[in-house]
Amino acid sequence: MNDFEQQRKSDIRPVNPGTFTIPEDSETPPELTGGFCPSCRASYYPRPKYCPGCLGEVTVRPVGRCGTIHSFTIIRTRPPLGLPQPYGVGFIDLAGTGLRVFGLLDPDQLQEMRIGDRVCLSVRELGHDGRGETRVRPVFTLESGSTQ
Amino acid sequence: MKEVFVIGSGIIPFGRHHERSLVDMGAEAAYLALKDSGLTPSRMGVGFFANGLAGRLFGDHTVGQNVFWEVGINRIPVINVENACTSGSTGFYLARNMVAAGQVEAAIVVGAEKMCVPEFGLINSGETEIDTQLGMVAPAGFALRAVRHMQEFGTTVEQLAQVAVKNRGHAAENPVAQFREPVTVKEVLESPMIVDPLTRLQCCPIADGAAAVVLASGSLASHAERKVRVDAAVLCTGSYGNPQDLVRWETDYTTCGLAYENAGISPEDLDLVECHDAFTISEILHYEALGLCKEGEGGRFVEEGHSKLGGRIPVNVSGGLLSRGHPVGATGVAQIYEIVTQLRGEAGPRQVAGARVGLAHCMGGDKAGDSKSCTVAVFSV
Repeated sequence: MNDFEQQRKSDIRPVNPGTFTIPEDSETPPELTGGFCPSCRASYYPRPKYCPGCLGEVTVRPVGRCGTIHSFTIIRTRPPLGLPQPYGVGFIDLAGTGLRVFGLLDPDQLQEMRIGDRVCLSVRELGHDGRGETRVRPVFTLESGSTQ
Repeated sequence: MKEVFVIGSGIIPFGRHHERSLVDMGAEAAYLALKDSGLTPSRMGVGFFANGLAGRLFGDHTVGQNVFWEVGINRIPVINVENACTSGSTGFYLARNMVAAGQVEAAIVVGAEKMCVPEFGLINSGETEIDTQLGMVAPAGFALRAVRHMQEFGTTVEQLAQVAVKNRGHAAENPVAQFREPVTVKEVLESPMIVDPLTRLQCCPIADGAAAVVLASGSLASHAERKVRVDAAVLCTGSYGNPQDLVRWETDYTTCGLAYENAGISPEDLDLVECHDAFTISEILHYEALGLCKEGEGGRFVEEGHSKLGGRIPVNVSGGLLSRGHPVGATGVAQIYEIVTQLRGEAGPRQVAGARVGLAHCMGGDKAGDSKSCTVAVFSV
């Protein structure tokens, strides 16, 4: 990534700040950031302010990067937030924490995706914030095509 | 807890009312319910006004005071209720609790919505919510459940479509329903795809509309010949534990179970159900959560005709949200209006013969793979 791209990337803000990482370099894969309660040994995504189980402190922790598609669908009607038409969303069962998270799917791979397929997180400029300002969003892509 | 009865109900036709204001529609429903109850406005001890979208669409708040003033209800507590699609049934829940507790002798609940405006788009659970920012819209949440139901139980798109066909058939006999023309499975499946596998005719249409009911204590209702008893009214939220099961819908099962327990009945005791058929798959999931059929058999249940008028347990004889339309704040009250009308034996050609026990079920909002709110109320005569 050259300086111009670095600058450009930092100018585009992410949706849901703090819920996923945007790597500084192309070697580091992005991951979802959630929370962990040491007392309850419970993982959360997104991270709640207090642990709903014990009202204790929830530490910031990565909760996963790859997983399998539990369910997915394609939204063909007029999309919100400047998302592509059509766009895909699904529930992903994250490896490791086992959390089932809702997320966007790679709009270019929708025809190939099946329940049970393995996907990994990527981040990209996709859609806007509701007022036309471009946003970076986390997107799950098929594992074979999950390079940054 | 004291006995509580519904002694008055009113509704205006659901559809596009471009020329009418939210207050105008709400006031007419309130007027009809008051007249039907035989009580004067001054007898009302509390008023609940339910609405989901006026704040977002028009910047209007605390609309209930304007609605109730127009029908002579004043100098009492007026409470505005927002609880997504269950706003109206939440108002009913609160009103029933106040009468049951003996705090008031009579209460009125009005649900109203004006949402047929240009560029309305798809409904979501809140602009700033994490899932909304990731593209979650109401039909997608249900499509993801449909995909799982098809995967786990072999439910077919034809079975999904049967829900829309059945409810349209029912709506033909309901003068307040927005869409009353019959449709076929082929037409349902060939209508434009909205969110796979849900086509347009499998998604409830938006609508403007209003409905109202008047509740009264046993002593105040003693004069009323057309009263309908409220046997239970429950409201639940979810645990939002992770992972959520998309087809064994936690809050749906929890709330339905609690309602049966409170009413002291089981599914076999029901004569009819109005449930939240926002999408075809919703009704199939609700059959199962309500215990009308076994888990996973909802698709077959509708296909075999058990839930149509004349079947074992008619569901959504009003036409449901799919045909009546879904004016968010009005829906929960409109469902109760239908149950009350049926139990009074006043539903005309769509009357469920000999109906004595009915159930109204509503769900709203989306959170972490579950809904934000579910209400179930049981009624009997």
